[in-house]
Amino acid sequence: MRLLALFKAQVKMRYIYLKRYYFDTLSMIVTMFLIFLLIFYGATALLGGTLAGSGDTLEGIVVGFMVWTFALMAYGTLSWGMIEEAQQGTLEQLYMSPLGFGWVTIFRVAASFIVNALIVIVVLFLMMATTGKWLNLDFLSLTPLILLTVAGAYGIGFFMGGLALVFKRVQSALQVLQFVLVIFIAAPFGWLPIMKFLPLSLGTRLIGKVMIGELSLLQLPPGEVLFLIGNSAFYFGLGFLIFKFFENVARDRGLLGHY
Amino acid sequence: METVLQLKDLTKHFRQRRGETVKAVDRVSFSVRKNEVVGLLGPNGAGKTTTIKCIAGLIKPTSGEIWLDGIEALRRPKKAMERVAALLEGNRNIYWRLTPRENLEFFAGLQGHTVGKVRGYIDELIQLFDLKEKDRTPARKLSRGMQQKLALACALVRQTEVLLLDEPTLGLDVETSYELRHVLKQMAAEGERTILLSSHDMHVVQDICERVIIINNGRVVVDDRVTNLMKLFEVSAYRFELEGRLGEEQELRLKELFPLLEVSATDHRTYIDADLKDGTQLYEVLEILKDGSTQIKSIGHKEPNLEEIFLTIVKGQLR
Repeated sequence: MRLLALFKAQVKMRYIYLKRYYFDTLSMIVTMFLIFLLIFYGATALLGGTLAGSGDTLEGIVVGFMVWTFALMAYGTLSWGMIEEAQQGTLEQLYMSPLGFGWVTIFRVAASFIVNALIVIVVLFLMMATTGKWLNLDFLSLTPLILLTVAGAYGIGFFMGGLALVFKRVQSALQVLQFVLVIFIAAPFGWLPIMKFLPLSLGTRLIGKVMIGELSLLQLPPGEVLFLIGNSAFYFGLGFLIFKFFENVARDRGLLGHY
Repeated sequence: METVLQLKDLTKHFRQRRGETVKAVDRVSFSVRKNEVVGLLGPNGAGKTTTIKCIAGLIKPTSGEIWLDGIEALRRPKKAMERVAALLEGNRNIYWRLTPRENLEFFAGLQGHTVGKVRGYIDELIQLFDLKEKDRTPARKLSRGMQQKLALACALVRQTEVLLLDEPTLGLDVETSYELRHVLKQMAAEGERTILLSSHDMHVVQDICERVIIINNGRVVVDDRVTNLMKLFEVSAYRFELEGRLGEEQELRLKELFPLLEVSATDHRTYIDADLKDGTQLYEVLEILKDGSTQIKSIGHKEPNLEEIFLTIVKGQLR
């Protein structure tokens, strides 16, 4: 019951932000869409007639871009979000929750995931309408796959959020990492087996198989799905543990409230 | 009355870059009884904020014990956090993009209270803190004073046994500071909260607290009731305001009797400040003044105030 109250409070706050600051939400959608257009027309021009018409690459861009949007928001919730909370002095208040900071953060992740999904759906439809490539939207297969994939980005977010608590001046590193996420998702050197050890890569590939290849979750190679589960659990868990480590350092040095 | 907050030998050392350690808090022990309002005083860097943050679970002490309502906070932090809320210094403590009511609802949720359960109390707080008219304004658009009142309300809405207030009136203008003091006083008078309050502002402490703990260099130097402190430092200090100047011979005679006596003069007035052992010595002064036919405008008895007491104690410590 108390956990439910905490969850509701978190969801409500996200919802209020989304609604009251709809201009922010809107401008985010527009920005993402504009970046997409740039990449899309850039790729069309670059690849010329040979590939542009034939499909896979452009559809791949749509899928990759969708995952990147999701990953960016997931990553931002924890990294930039943590800095914002520390700056406004609410982080210490969150720490004082008797339900524990762990639950506070997990519910924040869950609430942000729900809200982010709404934004991504809008961006996705805009992209599909522009390209005229209507992809397979098998929500039953996609939801768990996206959740697993994005978990890796949350892991990285935890890691950077933890760093920010202790070292404070990590803003530029945070920015650089946003583009490193692109490399994980769409490595320029094509698909190599070793990439499945990176966060986001394998997940994006499997999501592509559902959305472009029109497979369902059950038709995907079970070994790869299992590997994705392991990969996501690893990055999410590692990120969280590192965050807990830095949190302890911050509590020891009395840094939680300073920014 | 039962003890709800107890510190036993609380110690916090911070390691500096060059390997030196700073003893921010050094074996601090004190206890606070249920519904007691205690002031925590000390000069800058004395360890007030560190002590408060240790109690709030935000800083990990080097050693010592913190007991909250029979729970050892360092061993069972979550259980302990059910019993304590804090308004921290130098922070906003609230979400600037949410309205007062939304903030209150969020912080209630953070404590695990459902909105339905606390709605009545939230209405009460909005009333008490005069936030009704600004009910729909995001916190960032409120005045500094309003924001601080809201932050205090957000700590209250958690409905904890113990409330920690670190410099609640810092940075407020005179009027808002007075207003906030008024609310705190009201709360203290109702006697339903256990409050540990740190402040530079002696008016706040003198107004609200029954007891003060003075810490300096990380250690407790005084722990006593405000009234006892006042008595301890009670001096029979008198100030005489005289018309015109004092004769030379008069001044000599006065200083012979009271070596510590001070004489100061403006164009038309002379002031004599003297510590008299008891009231009867007043006649001796008057006798001397009478001899010179000096006109007395007024005689006043100075009451000690907490600020002077505090300064005396802290300065005594520094020597």
